[in-house]
Amino acid sequence: MENLSEISKRILTIKKTFNVPRKKIWEAWTKPEHIVQWWAPPGMKIKVVQHEFKVGGKWKYTMPMPDGNEFISEGVYEEIVVPEKIVTSANFKPMTEGVTIQVLFEEKGGKTNFTFSVIHPTEEYCRQQEQMGFYNGWGSSFVRLEKFLGS
Amino acid sequence: MTIESRRDVFQAIADPTRRKIIDLLSKQPLNLKSIAEYFDISRPAISQQIKILNECGLVDITRAGRETFCSIQPTELKKIADWASRYSVLWEQRIDSFEAYVNTLHTKKNKKNGKSK
Repeated sequence: MENLSEISKRILTIKKTFNVPRKKIWEAWTKPEHIVQWWAPPGMKIKVVQHEFKVGGKWKYTMPMPDGNEFISEGVYEEIVVPEKIVTSANFKPMTEGVTIQVLFEEKGGKTNFTFSVIHPTEEYCRQQEQMGFYNGWGSSFVRLEKFLGS
Repeated sequence: MTIESRRDVFQAIADPTRRKIIDLLSKQPLNLKSIAEYFDISRPAISQQIKILNECGLVDITRAGRETFCSIQPTELKKIADWASRYSVLWEQRIDSFEAYVNTLHTKKNKKNGKSK
């Protein structure tokens, strides 16, 4: 069993090596015309509503759900180091709010090492959310989303 | 709806003290006194947290004489790991989809430049 405090702080890290130059990877990750091509799960449509690609700038993507509601991904860029690093806050409504996403792009001999992390809110934030009864809603949101994704 | 009726494992891990208690108990069963020694807060406060963990189904409490023994309930603990991995799956799919897209882009570009067949 992994250390639970760690699970709750840092939900996951995904590392990949792309056989593609960093500049290309960076563009595919940051340009709206590219984002719409890969962000949404298969079969879902995504709309880039807001894309202020600068520190303090907001981004917002929406995906319509069959029940008429929207699944919203949004955040504020906290750090941008072209073409190496992006740190942004992120909310995924109605699933989870207040996470930090960090993406690193490292060039190595024409290849790109890509590290993606989702960092969970601070303990203080968790405590606040607990008081609001927020955690109780998570499970059912996942069931809904899974059903919707058909997985 | 009262909060009590909605206790679950995710509420259990929402609090740092409770997470530390879970960490301690996941290594070995402990009595209340030993658990309290790891914390600066009072024993009744620890006792209260353990009560919540018990209500969330994560910790089993047995009394032997004047001693209170606490042990972890692994099946409930597993729900957290399962949940975390479900969450991961969504991101893994998205990153896979990004990878596929980037590779497609790159291949197209190379074709245009005559770098590959």
